[in-house]
Amino acid sequence: MKKLFALMLALIMVFALAAPTAFADDTVEITLWTYPIGGWGNSDTVDELVAAFEATNPGIKVTVEYLAYADGDDKVNTAIEGKAAPDLIMEGPERLVANWGAKGYMVDIADLWDDADKEEILPVVAAACFNAEGQSYEYPLCMTAHCMAVNLNRFQAVGADQYLDLDSHTWTTDDFVAAVGLLAAENPNVAAVFCGGQGGDQGTRALINNLYSGTFTDAEHTKYTANSEENIKALELLVGLEGVNFDPAIVGGDEIQLFRQGILDMAFCWNIGMQLNSDNNDAGLTNDGDEIVCMAFPSDDGVPELCGGIWGFGIFDNGSEAKIDAAKTFIKYMADSAATADAVKASTYFAVRDKSDDVDLSNIYEGNDIMSEYSKLMPFLGDYYQVVPGWAEARTAWWNMLQQIGGGADVTETANAFCEYANAAAGA
Amino acid sequence: MRKSSSGLSRALVRRETIAGYLFLLPSLFFFITFVIYPMFMCIYTSLFDSNMGKNAVDVFIGLNNYKELFQDKIFLGALRNTLVIVVVAVPTVCAFSLWVASAITDMHPALTSMFRVIFYLPVVTGSVAVTVVWKWMYNNYYGIFNYLLKGAGLIEKNINWLGDAKYALWCIIIILFTTSVGQPIVLYVSALGNVDQTLVEAAEVDGATRTQVFWKIKWAQIMPTTLYILVITTINSFQCFALIQLLTSGGPNHSTDTVMYYIYYTAFKLYRYGYGNAMGVVLMIIIAILSAIQFKLGQSSD
Repeated sequence: MKKLFALMLALIMVFALAAPTAFADDTVEITLWTYPIGGWGNSDTVDELVAAFEATNPGIKVTVEYLAYADGDDKVNTAIEGKAAPDLIMEGPERLVANWGAKGYMVDIADLWDDADKEEILPVVAAACFNAEGQSYEYPLCMTAHCMAVNLNRFQAVGADQYLDLDSHTWTTDDFVAAVGLLAAENPNVAAVFCGGQGGDQGTRALINNLYSGTFTDAEHTKYTANSEENIKALELLVGLEGVNFDPAIVGGDEIQLFRQGILDMAFCWNIGMQLNSDNNDAGLTNDGDEIVCMAFPSDDGVPELCGGIWGFGIFDNGSEAKIDAAKTFIKYMADSAATADAVKASTYFAVRDKSDDVDLSNIYEGNDIMSEYSKLMPFLGDYYQVVPGWAEARTAWWNMLQQIGGGADVTETANAFCEYANAAAGA
Repeated sequence: MRKSSSGLSRALVRRETIAGYLFLLPSLFFFITFVIYPMFMCIYTSLFDSNMGKNAVDVFIGLNNYKELFQDKIFLGALRNTLVIVVVAVPTVCAFSLWVASAITDMHPALTSMFRVIFYLPVVTGSVAVTVVWKWMYNNYYGIFNYLLKGAGLIEKNINWLGDAKYALWCIIIILFTTSVGQPIVLYVSALGNVDQTLVEAAEVDGATRTQVFWKIKWAQIMPTTLYILVITTINSFQCFALIQLLTSGGPNHSTDTVMYYIYYTAFKLYRYGYGNAMGVVLMIIIAILSAIQFKLGQSSD
């Protein structure tokens, strides 16, 4: 009896082991890792999008993992080295094209770009998704222009609002200096040039580049030009400006928090995602209820060039054609189909194309006053230079350069040392 | 049947030996897989120019990574910072732990337990949680330290504790100190409780003072514990990483880089694996030498 029982038990176990194989269907499982790109960092929002995708494509199952900017790169790098990279990743060309793509880990998805895409997607965005050899490592979904923000009530209290053009959301360098002067009389912490590292660098770069119309790289995106006369002049202005403090103890996220708390009067790390944030108060208000106004970075000629944020999907080459095909299906569904409007709205950013599958994407936020107002900044979108080689190394060195300058180091020497290092990394 | 000198048959001895090795096998497997093999790979890779990249080829460069290390100002700064942390933290942690343990060991057992719990709390609390709280306290804009110092009239302007190279490393040492004393205190309380009381009583009968009893009787008996604490605290101080990563990322201007953080920075930010591994080997050698010296000193004073 005992033997019979043991035999039956063994059979059940063998059957149980074999069952998944015996009944396995052709479902392809893929993983998507996403950085917190607006609502794409929120599991409730993404679950809805993925469920809709899986309903349309029953042969594909998508598992999503969420990365943070603080340590996301480390996690991806570790996964790559451990041969456990995700199948799909969502981020911008500076990571997908200039870093992991350039290092050979991504699948060339140039075949996803059909003629309609080339017509519908903004040329500056399309260019950022390809490398010099014509390989594409990113298929874009959404974009925004990064800007800065000011606490309007504080500006009004000291009469500094006269320097803000609230209609066009622009101001000049002279306006900025005058406003800081008035604000600093009331608050020693008008603004912080945050330089603790880990993200938000677009804010400090755009601030410095715009003040005297400098550039961060050359037009061909082959070498760094942050030590140009214009940039050095801008850095010297900021170092000497009472009320603007270089702070190596805070990162971009801290700066946003300090601005919302009313400690700082301005924030340099801002975009529509932050403007729509309503965690502690209604969107567009600080925690204390002061009005937040998005502004372009001040420039000497009054014509700003804002740093762009482009986000989309890339595929890691994990050696499985089935997974690559499934990943491509996912990308096309999210970024080039009737479902694209929802995928873009989930990001809280703007579409990179005017239409998708005959659905008009140019006006998906109709009726949303904040989005409509923010869209005034989009025409100021400047060159997307973040695809210059050696970007990851240069980005790390950028913080260190600001820390040194804030600590009293010679501006010209430090900026020169930065460019020497960054250009060596770029092979320029 | 042949018998061994202990009276056991050779077959039995062989069987027991095999059984012994079999029992060792699981831990040996993990030790080789997760300690010996990575250590070997670390030494091996340190001889190559090894970078991230699917098609990147590791180029054998001999000892060039090591040569570069000793010309790298940032590495030398990180090494200096690490040594400062070790030199300051290790003696203070040991001395403070011994003082606290001596003070609480003769108290009512409930009080002793309460103090042990209090001092051990930072050890069992997650390092991230502890660091976040310290970060708030050090905050330049709303931190409690600036609030108190300004309130007391000791400072006029807020101090950017973690953003000023003059203070940042010392701020980290203070946190390291508070998170490092818990375990030594518990160990010292236990060691002091195990001191042979007959020797203590005999010394007291012979007229020894409390200080003499401590240094002549107790100190000798707790020496193995002291040795263990010294070695462990030294290694922990050398490997200080999480605090740096969470608080300063090595800044401002590399003033709080430690060797461990710079290894991470080199490997994960600059993707130079070979160079990072060379630093790891140097750190391993330094820790091994210091630990050997500590063991030697501990043995000679037994």
